[in-house]
Amino acid sequence: MNGERQSARDAPVHVARLVTIGIIASALGIVLALLINWFPVSAAKQAKPIDTLWDVLLIVSVPVFVLVTTVVLYSVYRWRMRPGEELLDGPPIHGNTRLEIVWTALPAILLVALCSYAYAVLHDIEEAKADTMEVRVVGEQFAWTFFYRDGGKELASHDLYLPLNRPVHFTIQSKDVLHDFWVPAFRVKKDAVRGIDTDVRATPNRIGTYPVVCAELCGLGHAAMRSDVHVVQPQQFTAWLGKLRSGAQAAAPTGGGGGGGAKASVDAKTLFTTSAQPVACGSCHTLADAGTNGTTGPDLDQVLKGKSAAFIKQSIEQPNAVIAKGYTPGIMPQNYAQSLSPAQLSALVKYLQEVTK
Amino acid sequence: MEAASVSAEHHGPPEAHHSSRVEPQLLGMLLFIISEVMVFGAFFTAYFFIRVVSGDHWPARGDELPKLVAFVNTCILVSSSFTIHWALVCARKGNRFGLQAGMLTTFLLGLTFLFIQINEYVHIGFSPHDSAQASVFYGLTGLHGAHVFIGLTLLAFVTIRSFRGHFTPEQHRGVEVPGIYWHFVDVMWIIVFTTVYIL
Amino acid sequence: MTATAQHSPASSHRSPSPTGGSRSRFRSPGHVRALLFLVLGVLFAAALVIAVRALYGFPIAADGKVTTATQDGILLVSLIAAPLFWLVGLGAFDYWFYWAAGRKTRPEDHSSHGAHSWRDYLRVNTDHKVIGIQYVCTSFIFMLIGGMLAMVIRAELAAPGRQFVDASAYNGLFSVHASLMIFLFIIPIFAGLANYVLPLMIGAPDMAFPRLNALSFWMLPIAGTMMVASFLAPGGSFATGWTAYAPLSTDAPIGQMFFTIGVQFAGASSIATALNFLVTIITMRAPGMSFWRMPLLVWANFSTSLLVVIATPFIAASQFLVLLDYALGFNFFVPEKGGDILMYQHVFWFYSHPAVYIMMLPGFGIVSEVLSVKSRKPIFGYRMMAFSLLAIVLLGFTVWAHHMFVSGMQGWIRVPMMITTAIIAVPTGIKIFSWLATLWRGVIHLDTPMLFALGFLCMFSLGGISGVMLAMVPVDIHVSDTYFIVAHIHYVLFGGSLFTIFAGVYYWFPKMTGRMFDDRLGKLHFWLTFVAFNATFAPMHLIGVEGMPRRVSDYPEQFAGWNLFISLASFVLGLSTLVFLYNMITSWRGGPRAPANPWRSLTMEWQVSSPPPIFNFDKVPTVVGGPYEYGVPDAQHGIFTAPASEESKSSHPSREARA
Ligand code: HEA
Ligand code: HEA
Ligand code: CUA
Ligand SMILES: [Cu+2]
Repeated sequence: MNGERQSARDAPVHVARLVTIGIIASALGIVLALLINWFPVSAAKQAKPIDTLWDVLLIVSVPVFVLVTTVVLYSVYRWRMRPGEELLDGPPIHGNTRLEIVWTALPAILLVALCSYAYAVLHDIEEAKADTMEVRVVGEQFAWTFFYRDGGKELASHDLYLPLNRPVHFTIQSKDVLHDFWVPAFRVKKDAVRGIDTDVRATPNRIGTYPVVCAELCGLGHAAMRSDVHVVQPQQFTAWLGKLRSGAQAAAPTGGGGGGGAKASVDAKTLFTTSAQPVACGSCHTLADAGTNGTTGPDLDQVLKGKSAAFIKQSIEQPNAVIAKGYTPGIMPQNYAQSLSPAQLSALVKYLQEVTK
Repeated sequence: MEAASVSAEHHGPPEAHHSSRVEPQLLGMLLFIISEVMVFGAFFTAYFFIRVVSGDHWPARGDELPKLVAFVNTCILVSSSFTIHWALVCARKGNRFGLQAGMLTTFLLGLTFLFIQINEYVHIGFSPHDSAQASVFYGLTGLHGAHVFIGLTLLAFVTIRSFRGHFTPEQHRGVEVPGIYWHFVDVMWIIVFTTVYIL
Repeated sequence: MTATAQHSPASSHRSPSPTGGSRSRFRSPGHVRALLFLVLGVLFAAALVIAVRALYGFPIAADGKVTTATQDGILLVSLIAAPLFWLVGLGAFDYWFYWAAGRKTRPEDHSSHGAHSWRDYLRVNTDHKVIGIQYVCTSFIFMLIGGMLAMVIRAELAAPGRQFVDASAYNGLFSVHASLMIFLFIIPIFAGLANYVLPLMIGAPDMAFPRLNALSFWMLPIAGTMMVASFLAPGGSFATGWTAYAPLSTDAPIGQMFFTIGVQFAGASSIATALNFLVTIITMRAPGMSFWRMPLLVWANFSTSLLVVIATPFIAASQFLVLLDYALGFNFFVPEKGGDILMYQHVFWFYSHPAVYIMMLPGFGIVSEVLSVKSRKPIFGYRMMAFSLLAIVLLGFTVWAHHMFVSGMQGWIRVPMMITTAIIAVPTGIKIFSWLATLWRGVIHLDTPMLFALGFLCMFSLGGISGVMLAMVPVDIHVSDTYFIVAHIHYVLFGGSLFTIFAGVYYWFPKMTGRMFDDRLGKLHFWLTFVAFNATFAPMHLIGVEGMPRRVSDYPEQFAGWNLFISLASFVLGLSTLVFLYNMITSWRGGPRAPANPWRSLTMEWQVSSPPPIFNFDKVPTVVGGPYEYGVPDAQHGIFTAPASEESKSSHPSREARA
């Protein structure tokens, strides 16, 4: 019955077989892992070293995983209990000091090496550069606002515009709970914490538009707390900043798309259903005329019925002033007064008063 | 039904083997105290962040901590540690009167401490709403006060039992274990007093 | 129908005497009195809140209706008071009241040991074996609820946009899901399994503090019910994740308090159990059972209990701080008043990182038992296995800030934390490699417990490796708070902890119930779970790195394909649990009788009958050797005196005859 189970002298044979299988599987695994297109497009200098670190980690990790799985599968395949072996016991091996030292020391060395490398990468991506542009990022439930220094003043925008190849230093702040400023294309992320300034650096190096995501749970609108970053040529950026400056003189910063000035005539219904920033009204409120049926906020057909324009205006600007029954304060964003231009606001108020009469 | 006949001889579990010289109750209390120390540790973390890391004025500007009263209070609590030790020594010797007097004094000293502490809250002139420093002050002293209260409850039971004639020179774990807890409450107070009032 | 103990049931002294009538039902400890006290607790809370508000001159009612603030106040105080009253009513403190007041205590007549019908599992009982089963069943109930919530999560995420629930309900779903799984499933079920087998393994007749043990158990249903009931709270359930970060949590609807306070009960329960384990292990080992002869499961629970005793107070305190800010207007987390928001995270993770090892070390213990027995070989490097557990305990306290790499804390802390975090892989690696060496040249019995143990080896390694990637700060900066983290969580918690739980439940099922389970169904369960588990959670790595944040009810179109796939796979994963349930229930009711030692194991719980006698042993056995001496001719671990071993052999035919 013991015939099939060989003596300890066969150990080298097994190890040799295992090593062969392991090397082949690891090689396949590494190739596969590297072929996967893991990351979103990279649009900042910071991305490259991180992506490389990632690849190195994959190359190290795959063999470790393969090692564990192969030994398990090989042992099961080779030494599974066969009929007639029900009462057999394995050899009483209690340990092997040399082996134990090896598998303590090797991973330790490997890990310390990885840490050193990771530290170098960290240092690299967070290094302060000359000619850095400052942008202040402010998170609030549930919107981002970006402030640019302009002489002694600050210009605000809801979209982030950055010039190509210029290092940017973001100072991140929060008005209420925690948020997290994340630009996947830049591979940078940092929490916005009320009461302190946090910061992060990136050097955009690819023209295009990429998402800005809030990555820290901040309540109801967390999933919708997104914005866009536009990486543009430096001349375009200057032009945009100029427009922003004149827009700021004329009115509050504009909401939504493009970053152009406020349109002269405002389509209040579109504003209600899709384009109001940070969150379009219709995604939370029901309004028969606009055909929306959100339930997060109160049904406007009911709560605004017969209300004055002043009341409606107040409800948009200071949502917590009057709270409809059954709803909790603090859920509706409190920055529409800033994010909507006066023209938009009054159009919206007029529209709402009209359709809920 | 052989099994039944076996059980008929055994009306209880077998005697457990004592694999350690430490008494289970004592060990349990010590471990519990480690847990308690960690609860304080967490509150001290809050203290550390709000006082040390942020570097703000301590206590908040305009607030004043009554150091003298607190010092007197500290003396009261520390002396209660001695009286309960005395009670335990008496219990070991079989001195019933000493045990009763010791327990009663300890209890009253503890009660006085708690009373003075509450009185201090009333007259201190700031509330936890005013500043984070005040929150930490009330948090730490309040947490300690809660422990004094728990300790007093235990002491009350021990005192009652001592007057009912429990505890003998051989059997006085009921004094010893709450006593350890009371010492812990004392030592904790000395730490709270030093960090919150003195430093 | 269930595990009837083998001693002849002396049923006369069990059930409450029928002559007492309803009045004594209200007075004697039990569920009736508990219910009464529960109501009293709520009334007490209401009275207290109204009195205090009146004292301070706050309005109690307006327009003929009780104000919201008053309602919330009463609810909040009830959450604390009602459970305590309920426990008093249940009789959890009776003995201590009597003892403390110096009244004559009822001498322990051991009448409440053992269980004779399934109803006995619903009563307060101080027998560690009954409590063990109570723990395991209760935990699985909460696992099913938590799993159902996961199914709703996946249904909502099956497609972009809104499917079934709105954003606030969604936030509640994953918060309750995770809280139940962590605080009411993984942590307590390990405590339950150990409760059952640990005293048997070390040759103790029971735990050191049987009454405390019962109290620990009865705090669990409180915590669990509270968390589930939070869905009924005005404003919805707590919705801030299981991490409950301030200031979102200090400024949330009242449902948040169901978490804050529920966690206190769960935490108190685990601290009490940990104390109990430590004292039991230190003071109640059988003669000859030196520390170096203890089974690794005992070592694992020893280490875990150390972690619990030291770390769990921190989560209690973190929630105290939230409670104080929330209810009494303290300013711990109000920066405008000098508070510090990041302090919450430091306190929370100082517990919650060790907590992840609290959720893994007992599993390591289970796997050590199963692997050694099922490959018929001694554990490779026994002492290093024990030392590595202790090393993990120590290192576990030095890594908490790896959850805060992007939190905005002082930057320099990240570097030492990165190194300690990575180094934790070394003792864990020692364990993995030693298990592999244990398999090597064994006689591998590939039945259900073993399959799960082997599945654990592979899946946990994967989860651990993704953990090491997370430890590398630059990588974590990109993937923190994405689905990559969700993948890591489930690989270590499901592929790690839950696989070991399945292994342990199958392994000790014969001991606990006296019945054999259906191995074919068990294998079906394993394969379904294994495949569906990987199909569910592996793709999460991909979408995470690609940019999908966690904790969102809606996501961009680009992730739609994978999410649909994940959702479908997760439903299969859910269904695979039904196979397990079916197997457990039918086998418990009508499976073939289990012999005392079906696995030919050496550890002592297998040397007594299945299920064990009421008092475990007639006489405490003597230990003469290590627990894993498989393959050593005539090896012995425990020596039993004649009556006990005779009983364990001979009681079977007689029970067979009775059945
Ligand atoms: C059972 C629970 C469990 C366990 C055991 C672990 C184990 C580990 N975890 Fe994990 N972790 C969680 C549960 C767990 N984790 C949870 C729930 C979260 C999310 C919390 C939340 O935010 O909600 C989390 C989050 C988390 C983060 C934070 C991510 C973030 O939010 O940004 C990090 C970062 O470092 C991390 C790292 C690790 C590491 C290094 C280990 C190590 O201990 C792993 C060690 C094991 C191995 C490495 C495998 C075996 C070893 C070998 C085969 C040897 C050779 C290996 C190498 C050389 C690599 N974990
Ligand atoms: C041990 C812990 C544990 C376990 C076992 C699970 C099990 C599962 N988890 Fe969970 N999960 C966590 C711990 C755990 N999870 C944690 C800590 C988080 C983080 C939360 C946070 O961010 O705060 C999380 C978060 C989390 C998310 C992310 C939510 C988000 O960030 O938005 C998701 C999404 O898919 C998910 C899914 C699942 C699924 C599909 C299962 C499945 O394995 C469940 C399978 C079981 C069942 C389904 C129950 C039994 C079956 C039945 C009763 C039969 C009926 C079946 C059908 C109707 C199909 N989990
Ligand atoms: Cu802001 Cu999430
Ligand atoms: Cu961790």
